[in-house]
Amino acid sequence: MTDSPTIAFFPEASFGAALNCVGIAQQLRLLGANPVFICHPGFTGLFTEYGFREFHLPDTERNSAEMNADYWQNFITTHLPHFNLTPFEQLDTYVTPAWDAIVDTVETVEDGLKDLLAQIKPDVIVLDNVIMFPAIANAGCPWVRVVSCAETEIPDPKVPPYLSGLSARDTEACHRFQKSYLSNIRPQHQRYNDFRKAKGLHVLPAGTFLETSPWLNLLLSPEAVRYERADALSEKQFVFLDGCVRDQGHFKPPQFAIDVGPLIYMSFGSLGASDTDLIGRMIHVFADLPARFLVNVGGFLESYDAVPDNVILGSWFPQPSVVEQCALFIHHGGNNSFCEALYYGVPSLVMPYCWDGHDNAQRCNETGVGLSVDRATWTEASLKSTIIELLKNDAMNAHLAETSARMKKHRGTLHAAEAVLKIANAKI
Amino acid sequence: MTETRRKTKQNHLLLAQKVLHITLERGMRAGEHLPEQAFSRACGVSRTPIRSAFKILENNSILSWREEAGYFLEIETREEHAEALRKLEGLEDSLAQRILSDRAERRIGEVQSASALVRRYNVSRSAVLNALKILSYEGIVSQLPGRSWAFQPILDSPTSVDESLAFRLTLEPQAILTPSFSMDFKRAGLLRNQMDDILKQPDGRITFSAFQSTDTEFHSFIAECSGNRFIRGALLAHHRLRRTTQKDDSIPDFRLRQSLAEHLEILDSLESKQFDLAADQMVLHLRKSKVRRPEAANRGIPPMKRGKQT
Repeated sequence: MTDSPTIAFFPEASFGAALNCVGIAQQLRLLGANPVFICHPGFTGLFTEYGFREFHLPDTERNSAEMNADYWQNFITTHLPHFNLTPFEQLDTYVTPAWDAIVDTVETVEDGLKDLLAQIKPDVIVLDNVIMFPAIANAGCPWVRVVSCAETEIPDPKVPPYLSGLSARDTEACHRFQKSYLSNIRPQHQRYNDFRKAKGLHVLPAGTFLETSPWLNLLLSPEAVRYERADALSEKQFVFLDGCVRDQGHFKPPQFAIDVGPLIYMSFGSLGASDTDLIGRMIHVFADLPARFLVNVGGFLESYDAVPDNVILGSWFPQPSVVEQCALFIHHGGNNSFCEALYYGVPSLVMPYCWDGHDNAQRCNETGVGLSVDRATWTEASLKSTIIELLKNDAMNAHLAETSARMKKHRGTLHAAEAVLKIANAKI
Repeated sequence: MTETRRKTKQNHLLLAQKVLHITLERGMRAGEHLPEQAFSRACGVSRTPIRSAFKILENNSILSWREEAGYFLEIETREEHAEALRKLEGLEDSLAQRILSDRAERRIGEVQSASALVRRYNVSRSAVLNALKILSYEGIVSQLPGRSWAFQPILDSPTSVDESLAFRLTLEPQAILTPSFSMDFKRAGLLRNQMDDILKQPDGRITFSAFQSTDTEFHSFIAECSGNRFIRGALLAHHRLRRTTQKDDSIPDFRLRQSLAEHLEILDSLESKQFDLAADQMVLHLRKSKVRRPEAANRGIPPMKRGKQT
């Protein structure tokens, strides 16, 4: 055993989880630990750019270049229309197929993950995902769960169901949603439990794909949007981070052809960027607003032309630094985006399209830290008026400034790193 | 001759902009002195062009000059710097810059007529034709049969950035391996100082624009040292295109520093005449500079790999 504990991060193959883990790993490195990353195919190199050693899960046939392009084309064609549906309607069309794919991933990477963990010999594993991988539970070292989705991921009688986009006050709708959710995902859950049993793990109750860690569970959920719970979470096992914002360096805003007005940033995440029609219509509205817009269009830059003078498109922005300098953040309700807006005291205009984006959109309205807009029904007038309302809402901005000050003081990434290190040191 | 004067003036304007980026990054206050030597070192040029750049800044009330004391900063805040940069960009060649910038930001299409540009920018036809001539000289536009002009590929998308890197991987190591590769040691020293200065910035404070300026300067220097005129010409034109059209704020501080350190290692090898090693280091440097981040990701499905979408 060396003095420097090895912490193996295993984020799911999404930018939110990956960059969230980078934030914690940056702090662990400063504290003298040795953070390393286990990468899903496709994420190779991302963590190296932040100076972390990577271990790669083997690539699979379904991820070959040709199949990958076909897969995404089909995925986008199939699911874009589904993103306009309600959370309830998405249970059939999106949530159930997504759980199927998630269980597929667990089964596919199991052997490779086991081999990598044997090679790394971590002192602690940090899992940022929505499902347990048996190789992690069986690795023989403590593991930490990061709940980087909305707080609804940890159920409670007083918390609305995960992915429902409902208010806890709407008890009847909550009940109806949860019943339908459990019924829809029963086959996927059964398949997953069978896999767990085959790998020597206990089965999980209906609807649960990831147990709480007996060592440590880190929740991003900031105090300003946290739910009241019937059963308080054990302070020993659960640590609230009040956000977890990574250090991404300073972003210098580019010069706009029309360079006046507040700066507004829009990003629907890399998947949301595939809806070029929606983004194109929004950009058309932005042209008439007295503000400057930075718009993340992901890998689809070539889909746009005749961009207005007050809009600049980019395929990637260093989001934390951009949000810090903005007066408004238009996003999809991804938990990292939502937390970053709160961290920098910036109002959110949430336009959710799937998963916990619905939960954050609802919570954003309920707690007065922004407003949500339905992506299927907005009009030019409603979008303009919502943006102007959010820019001019002094009371909301004052509340957000207090929230921001509290979150910055809390230093979520450092808090997380210290908690992880405590587990590592206890093990040593 | 006129063309040479125009290019020199343009270089001084670019240098003046660079000086402003440095004063902003260093958090310099109004009234603070700008030592010629320090800025010459930071910009990797001799004092003569620095004086010309300072003069441009003085003429635009961004710096003031005091007898026997030198130049002093007249602005301070980020907003004042932004305004000053705007003012500089409003000087000579501004129309060419605006056209290029509008194309890079996808405000105008790939094929343009001079008449359409006259209408868009509300300037004379001769101003537009002059701007197109400048862009044509840089290899950014070419005239089509008839009255239209077509933009050449620029570095405005992940795909074109990947293609640029592949092009450079083919030529840059070869530039070093040409038998008559000849290095200007003085300029190498200035570049080294410039990179050392950037590396001294606190964590997270290196901006992409500062990095890119030094990066293109370093790679252009390698091209200029090459004995093969075709390689030299192709690479210099490409680095000019990178300087004017490539934007990538996605590179984390760690990689920016690592990249500068790789430049310094290549210079070490070149200075000790280990050309094979330097060429290999260049390959490694360029491969490491490729952005490997997937274009899209979502839980449960394989991330969308970079490259042209079907």
